Amino acid sequence: MKRQGPIILAFIVGMLMMIQFFTPWPRLQDVYNLFLDWKQVVLGFTYILGTWSLVRYHAKKIERRQENYPYSYVALAGLVVTVGAAAIWKTASGPYPWLFDYVQVPMQSTMFSLLAFFVASASYRAFRARTVNATLLLVAGCLVMLGRVSIGPYISGTLFGHEISLVQISDWVLNVPNLAAKRGIMIGVGLGMTATAIKIVLGIEQTYLGKTD
Amino acid sequence: MATRADLKTPVFAAAWLLLCASVCAVLCVSPARALPPQVKVSDTSNDWGTSLTVSWDKAPTSDSLLGFDVWRIEAAEGRAPAPGSDLPSASAALERAGWQKVAAVGGDDTVFVDSGLDHAKAYAYSIIATTASGEVAIGPAAAVRPSIQVLSRNRINVLVAVILFIAVILGLVARARTGAKLFIRKIAGLEAVEEAVGRATEMGRPILYVPGLDPMDEVATVAAIDILGQVARKAAEYETRLMVPNRDPIVMAVAQQVVRESFSAAGRPHLYREGDIFYVTYSQFGFAAAVAGLMIRERPATNFFIGHFYAESLVLAETGNATGAIQIAGTDSDAQLPFFITSCDYTLIGEELYAGAVYLSRQPLLLGALKGQDYAKLVLMAAMMVGIVLSAVNPEMAAVFRGWFK
Amino acid sequence: MAFHDRLMSIDRRIIFLAVGLAVALPLIWPLGFPVEVSKETRDFYREIEALKPGDVILLSFDYEGDVMAEVDPMAVAVMNHAFTKGLKVVSLTTYAGGTGIAERILGQAGRIYGKTYGEDYVFLGYNPDWSGTILRLGESFKATYPTDQQGRSTSGLPLMQRVETYRDIGLIVSISGSALPEYWAIWAGGRYGAKVISGSTAIQAVLIYPYYQARQILGFLGGLKGAAEYETLIAKPGMGARGMDAQSIAHGLIVLFIIVGNLGYFLARRALRHGGTKAAGA
Repeated sequence: MKRQGPIILAFIVGMLMMIQFFTPWPRLQDVYNLFLDWKQVVLGFTYILGTWSLVRYHAKKIERRQENYPYSYVALAGLVVTVGAAAIWKTASGPYPWLFDYVQVPMQSTMFSLLAFFVASASYRAFRARTVNATLLLVAGCLVMLGRVSIGPYISGTLFGHEISLVQISDWVLNVPNLAAKRGIMIGVGLGMTATAIKIVLGIEQTYLGKTD
Repeated sequence: MATRADLKTPVFAAAWLLLCASVCAVLCVSPARALPPQVKVSDTSNDWGTSLTVSWDKAPTSDSLLGFDVWRIEAAEGRAPAPGSDLPSASAALERAGWQKVAAVGGDDTVFVDSGLDHAKAYAYSIIATTASGEVAIGPAAAVRPSIQVLSRNRINVLVAVILFIAVILGLVARARTGAKLFIRKIAGLEAVEEAVGRATEMGRPILYVPGLDPMDEVATVAAIDILGQVARKAAEYETRLMVPNRDPIVMAVAQQVVRESFSAAGRPHLYREGDIFYVTYSQFGFAAAVAGLMIRERPATNFFIGHFYAESLVLAETGNATGAIQIAGTDSDAQLPFFITSCDYTLIGEELYAGAVYLSRQPLLLGALKGQDYAKLVLMAAMMVGIVLSAVNPEMAAVFRGWFK
Repeated sequence: MAFHDRLMSIDRRIIFLAVGLAVALPLIWPLGFPVEVSKETRDFYREIEALKPGDVILLSFDYEGDVMAEVDPMAVAVMNHAFTKGLKVVSLTTYAGGTGIAERILGQAGRIYGKTYGEDYVFLGYNPDWSGTILRLGESFKATYPTDQQGRSTSGLPLMQRVETYRDIGLIVSISGSALPEYWAIWAGGRYGAKVISGSTAIQAVLIYPYYQARQILGFLGGLKGAAEYETLIAKPGMGARGMDAQSIAHGLIVLFIIVGNLGYFLARRALRHGGTKAAGA
């Protein structure tokens, strides 16, 4: 029953959610809304689980004096200070918005801005015209990169007697080959997702229960 | 000789004729009387039985229309309670009679969908047009009850597709169960898993497995955990340390269970270390920073980035590349594919990720479902070809064909 | 080291330094590159422009601090446009870190245009279950958000009294650094018939094209350039326009590095054909 219970529950809930999509009965609407409400409640509790897991991990690191354990003090202090600030002074004023504006946002922005540097070094290293495909990738990448900035409209030329700018080429690359490839991948991913969902509802897929076979 | 009586008859006849002709002339040349504007109420189809659609004609007035007010009252089905009379305005008359104003819409609107109704009751509607010089009443329309449909007519095509898809999957699963061989093409990234795990064992360094950043209810994460089970079994067989940092606590819990079972199945339960499968943080770049730091400190020989990723993918892949690890990535996030392709040794693209666990385990049930996806894709490709040909040959039929997929 | 080897082995620190300078210097000394408006941005603008004063838009801040530099200008421009037109704004966020951002932008716009919270704009706050939120809003706004971000009952707010489901919303605007606009289009648009427009980072904007072509998303802003284009259309230049100079120079620099790397690669191949040693990185 420990294994079968969740599978039966997944089947019932999955089938109800599928049926309500096709059958506009008011009772099913109530069930649908109930499930959505419960989903929000369960998700809220996962944050408690996550916080507990974080505290336990760092506490163990400190207790066992593992490598770099002083940073665990920083992590736990950050958690306590932020939660405390929100609980005491609320989130609209006081230390919490200050922590958000001057600590969290700069840290997040800094990490994200690393991408600019990584993209530059990855492009320099990986965009080599080794094969025909790699050359096409390289040329398309360069055209779109220049076409999508302010200097794009100023780079133009004549092709088969027509004046054509980098912006038009860039737009064509994005609207034709890029769109076609994305659609193909989306259709495949969509079918894969549908098949996996069906497998979970029918009990064929049981990985979410921690079962590997 | 004609008498006076004789003369009267023709005169009377002529007079009648003249009178009739005059009346006809008046009737024929005077402008036709316009029909009063109508309000129509009908059940809104494909809803939950809680809404009605109210439509009306614009009031025939030369004044500019400022807007329409929609009024409603509960009534017996087919009846329309009359508003009061001898009141200064149409709205006052409706209010006196118990009507309720439910909406005010613009002067260009002629349709309103009233929702949140009770399908056990019937509702009548009246419209008041507000013009520059005052109010003009339109209606009322007889009460209609919202009705419940058994099936959403606009989703029948989706229902048919889903039923067919399920039938194909179940059929192929049954076929796979009988031992029939179902072909899957080689996927380079998955063929390299054994080699990658072996490399980590030879170098005496751990394996890092990142199961994406999405929660457990996302299909990519389910696929990632599937593959984690197979990788964990190989890591246990080779007695190599496996580290799995997680962004989501539920995924962490499932990952711990899966890795523990895999180690047990490989006969090495004593090698399982719960501390190696841990929760980091929910913050996207906090997670990326933590994993990048882990890669630089622990120097794993093999990195797996399997699941759904976001912008942090390049940070992870580039950092791993800089440490010299062999990297196998797999994601259904097409925005991140270019980054993985440039920085990783092998990349599973899109649905190759979903095929991953099936490919490694070759379980008949999952194999059948995977083949079902392939057949569904064939059907869609055929439909696209039909659509392309029809668009070129017969645009009207092509429009009908396209409508089947809306 | 041979010349072609040098070309292919430029230290990444030099690349990082060059990129840093290429981004920082134009921000300090602006170059003033003009911005040409694309069709996608015009459509985005048109959808908001087509609304009437008093119409309600749903503005979703689907991002947090990491992509702020790129998409914040879009959110600010949308608020400028909306309040200039007299639209009402119901707002929410699907990211915990988005609450501070939303409160700042909404509060700022409210002060500048003299708008009243509760009547002209409302911030419903953050809900951890984004997928459930998008679906649940189609059934009932008040059931999904019984209180707003500050704990006030949504039933008591004048603006929320006329907003019950997506039917009462003229347009959904999703400003995001992730794939959330696609989900707004699929669930809110596909299931409930809501109109959706979006503003995304440049990398995510590439994924919007299939939805835009199928008219599931009616217009979108792509990256900082999209923000700059939109600011141009509403005639309120901001950080979007300022950032385009830096982005233009940085993109040009990356293309230059790619050309240099490939030059080294082809020179190395030629040297190899003429009997030279195999070049590093080839």
